[in-house]
Amino acid sequence: MTTSLPIQPVDTEQAEVAAVEAARATKVPGWFVILWRNRKCRIGLVMLAVFVFVALLAPVLAPYAPRDNSFTASVGPNGSNWLGTTAQGEDVLSQLVYGARTSLLVGLAAGTLSTVIGLAVGLTAGYLRGLVDEVLSFFINLALVVPVLPLMITLAAYAPVKGLWLIIFVISITGWAYGARLKRSQIITLRTRDYITAAKFAGDSTARIIVREILPNMTSLVVVGFMGACLGAIGGEAGLAFLGLGDPTTTSWGTMLNQANTGGAMLTGQWAWLIAPGVAFAGLMTALTLINFGVDALSNPHLRED
Amino acid sequence: MALLEVDDLSVTYSPRDGTPVRAVDGVSFEIADGEFVGLLGESGSGKSTLGNAILRLLDKPAAVSGGSVRFDGVAVTSASEEEIRPLRWAKISTVFQSSMNSLNPVITIGAQFADTFAAHGREGDPATLLDLVSLDADVLRRYPHELSGGMKQRVALALALALEPKFVLLDEPTTGLDVVVQHNILQRLRELQSQLGFAVLFISHDLGTVMEMADRVMVMYAGELVEDQPARAMMSAQLHPYTQGLLGSYADPRATEISVDYIPGRPPDLSRPQVGCRFAARCPVAIDDCSTQHPQLLPAGAGTARCLLVERAGLVDARRARSFVAVRAEAPAVDPVLTVTDAAKEYRGKRAVDGVSFELRPGQVTALVGQSGSGKTTIARLVTGVERPTSGSVTFTGGVDVGSLRGRKLRAYRRHTQLVFQDPFAALNPTRTPAYALSRPLQNHLGLSKAQARTRAGELLETVGLHPASQYLDKLPHQLSGGQRQRVVIARALAPEPRILVADEPISMLDVSIRAEILELLDNLVRTRQLGMLYITHDLLSARLLADEVLVLNEGQVVERGRTLQVIQNAQATYTQELLDAIPNPVTRS
Amino acid sequence: MRYFLRRAGFFLATLWAAITLNFLIPRLQPGDPAEAIVSRLGGQSQAIDPAQVESIRKMLGTPDGNLLTQYGDYLAAVARGDFGISYTYFPYSVTHMIGQGLPWTLILVGVTQVVSFVAGTLLGAWAAYRRNSRVDSVITLGSTFVGTLPFFWLALVLIYVFAITLNWFPTGGGYGGGSDPGWNWLFFSDAFQHSILPAVSLLIVGPIGWIIGMRNNMVQTLGEDYARLARAKGLPRRRVALTYGARIAVLPNVTGFAIALGGILGGTVLVESIFNYPGLGRMMLEAVSNRDYPLMQALFLFITVGVLIANLLADLLYGVLDPRVRREEAG
Repeated sequence: MTTSLPIQPVDTEQAEVAAVEAARATKVPGWFVILWRNRKCRIGLVMLAVFVFVALLAPVLAPYAPRDNSFTASVGPNGSNWLGTTAQGEDVLSQLVYGARTSLLVGLAAGTLSTVIGLAVGLTAGYLRGLVDEVLSFFINLALVVPVLPLMITLAAYAPVKGLWLIIFVISITGWAYGARLKRSQIITLRTRDYITAAKFAGDSTARIIVREILPNMTSLVVVGFMGACLGAIGGEAGLAFLGLGDPTTTSWGTMLNQANTGGAMLTGQWAWLIAPGVAFAGLMTALTLINFGVDALSNPHLRED
Repeated sequence: MALLEVDDLSVTYSPRDGTPVRAVDGVSFEIADGEFVGLLGESGSGKSTLGNAILRLLDKPAAVSGGSVRFDGVAVTSASEEEIRPLRWAKISTVFQSSMNSLNPVITIGAQFADTFAAHGREGDPATLLDLVSLDADVLRRYPHELSGGMKQRVALALALALEPKFVLLDEPTTGLDVVVQHNILQRLRELQSQLGFAVLFISHDLGTVMEMADRVMVMYAGELVEDQPARAMMSAQLHPYTQGLLGSYADPRATEISVDYIPGRPPDLSRPQVGCRFAARCPVAIDDCSTQHPQLLPAGAGTARCLLVERAGLVDARRARSFVAVRAEAPAVDPVLTVTDAAKEYRGKRAVDGVSFELRPGQVTALVGQSGSGKTTIARLVTGVERPTSGSVTFTGGVDVGSLRGRKLRAYRRHTQLVFQDPFAALNPTRTPAYALSRPLQNHLGLSKAQARTRAGELLETVGLHPASQYLDKLPHQLSGGQRQRVVIARALAPEPRILVADEPISMLDVSIRAEILELLDNLVRTRQLGMLYITHDLLSARLLADEVLVLNEGQVVERGRTLQVIQNAQATYTQELLDAIPNPVTRS
Repeated sequence: MRYFLRRAGFFLATLWAAITLNFLIPRLQPGDPAEAIVSRLGGQSQAIDPAQVESIRKMLGTPDGNLLTQYGDYLAAVARGDFGISYTYFPYSVTHMIGQGLPWTLILVGVTQVVSFVAGTLLGAWAAYRRNSRVDSVITLGSTFVGTLPFFWLALVLIYVFAITLNWFPTGGGYGGGSDPGWNWLFFSDAFQHSILPAVSLLIVGPIGWIIGMRNNMVQTLGEDYARLARAKGLPRRRVALTYGARIAVLPNVTGFAIALGGILGGTVLVESIFNYPGLGRMMLEAVSNRDYPLMQALFLFITVGVLIANLLADLLYGVLDPRVRREEAG
């Protein structure tokens, strides 16, 4: 959550041209082809696919139900509980498998939601400029500087029901600003292009210009922003859950760590309970980061390795 | 031993995921002490890469792949960076292509002089240096963003002379500056060079300037030198057909009859292996052997040339093979399609345009000539309805007040008023095909169906000379050359069958060899389709070629107007004189 | 000058917005907020303390007044620095408690973040200077890998290894039983010992953003014409890298620092909670779990204002570093 992305102009148009070209050569979407060509990105995509697979097939893959507490409590890894058990006597591996569901769901839902908010605010501000831009930019900057986790904590503390969707909502409305800022500055660059003027003279409407002329030229930025938002959301959920502010009825890697911490995993020597969620979390983060690398390298020619 | 010796130098770009491109291929030449040499070439010819190789500033993925550069006895290509460093700036300095960005934005000009002196343990007086380029000493305390483009360029030039180098490499040093400013800086450069006696390699795409400045001119095409002759000799007898074509693209605008040459086609793709002469495909006088035998750079005329025909016959004549002859009959008096009456436009109390009146008539071209800031682009915005005049009026045929149009009515008006842009690379959406770009105005303004629009788009591409259209409809812009892109832009402007065409510097970003071709196309379209055209330019020669009537603008006001030839032949206003003087004129240089 | 005025204006506007946001959050739920909170407290096993009800009323303004008068009362209370009595730390006032926690957080966060920024920027510059070398790979790949680890998990692992298994450091707390807070050597050395693990866990992750940001910016600036010209001028390589690369590349990082502060402070809440460190973050969590709304709200406001002030300072520093913004707004 503490990592900041550099703010610099990116040549998003070039990335889209590559994508359109790639799409022509094959029947697969161009973006996928481009990403697949990059080695780092390919590893990331495969890793992500594994996590998605595990999350989708959790009931099949998990040996037990996540809340089945019929095992001996706080035992280390053994034949029937590969990663040992919790202090409540639940199977750690099963919780881990189900936890992937929560993380991916939060990442996908909150990532999408904050990307949509960021797009709407950023595009409106950047395309319309003037007073609208001044006002929206103020909100973007405000949302950027407000300390996110304390705000999440405050919001979550007031919420009458603590469900997973509340967490997703809280994460989304606190995490859209960075993407909005990037999209705003990119559209400001793109909207002065002559081809936008040409589209106006060709009789295209503003909405069509934004959707058909501008957006396709900044897809890479949207993808990077979405990935960043996913990373932030997954981290945010884990943080909140770890602090005990998550949904107590959902199994997530954050709640596992919280229980491992409070349940004395470190004192009883049930290290697997502590290590496993962290490793799984790191793996998912790595997958998304690797994919982001590929997208970033595409749109920022200076970062291309040569 | 010459000061600079380049021997069989090759530079190859090897991108990680792409085919290697040999941008500079077996180039050899020498430059003597105090010599002023021009290196002429179009975009992509490898001239800047060659310059970087000489300065040893090539960045990955470009690298020297063969040959050597010796400067003052030091092997530049093989020495270590530490061995080169004492040479840098003390003996060999440079002014980059875009000096807009070649000064450090966060330290003062003075500091940038100081670190230059410090790096070489020398002392010097930056104020005197600035004086050389006619700048005040207080510039030293300023930051680059506080200077105008011309001032930055002068600073860069003064900086290049700081350590009294023996050799200065100038890479398009005045690109992007106003013609008059350009002219002044180059004049000053020439004076300084003869005064201080340093040698110069002057890289440019602009043959007129190179011819005017240099003692000797080398011409580069597709990575190779194709001709090398003293400027005077080249002027009277160009050897290579390419040089002949380039020189043919200049003419004296004062002449009563005027025609300019162009070279159709585009340079070869250097990522493919090359057989034969690289210019053969565009050469008007090529013979069969040209496409199979690779010519060598051999002595010819007063220098050397790389051409089989020159080798065999001694001389070729490729001039007037393809040329645009401007025939301006007395324009018939027809009703105007657009009338601008005493229009003025103020921005924050400053008058950008002041009391300008003119008419656009079907089948005729009105040129607005002036520098940037003269108000010509503002006038275009008034004509297209993007801005409304502060006072005066813009009236479209049928009494439509253009300034008051909004929303749907403005969109309807734009069907009749279309734009041709300056930069063909920015004017087409990089992710959209010509078929898409052309279908939008057809569907929106003419109400065609998708299929009809595609058919019509094909016809339009044929009209602008992209033949066969099926080869171009589904290409992406980056697969097209600059000239082809500009044709697509013109086709798009024609699509809704407009009455008015506003062309804002439509040829200034194109290679010299194809400019006349685009002018000819515009000329044809205006006459055959009875379009009223507003042609905006800084270049009196192209105005002379295309326009029936010309308005010379300075600081928002019309300083001179009339029939094009009359204005040019008897220029009254000093500003018009300046513009005329600024046209590099290799043809009439004595 | 215009730049500094704009930044100051932005600071005041965000300050007002943060104070107002703080006023609005408890009122977002339907019904009378004071009643809702009191009734929720009533649901707990303890009896409702009158002082607590009083402080909630104070926090929310007069519950029966209209929103505008409530807002006016609230602003007046904020201006006086009067946030009522803390329920958790009865009978201390909220303001007093914040005063207690502040030095701990300020020192821990201040020191680690400044060190992170400086170290990260230097490492990033080094990687860019030695681009495509082994140093570059180690720095970029290493920081990318560490950056994917959840850092509260890293903190747990640190405790497990260094406090529980090796017993080198205490597992948590701000100071041990043997010392009392005060200006004495014993306390300082004890507090230092306790701060090492929290500081290390912040320092492992802290520099990563700056490393990657700085490296990418500097790779870009070194490719610009001014850096190439500096090379052509024969400037020593190090000088080119410093004045023409790093000097310009650091600018976006300074802006980034201002923006990232909010996130960084969020991270401290986690660290303080794991190490049971007596700072504002842990206090906030305690306030949440004890439903001590006045303390929680005041802390949120306080942390936000702290971030805004730090933000203003970073912006002002940027103005000093970049001559361009003094005349025109950047970006």
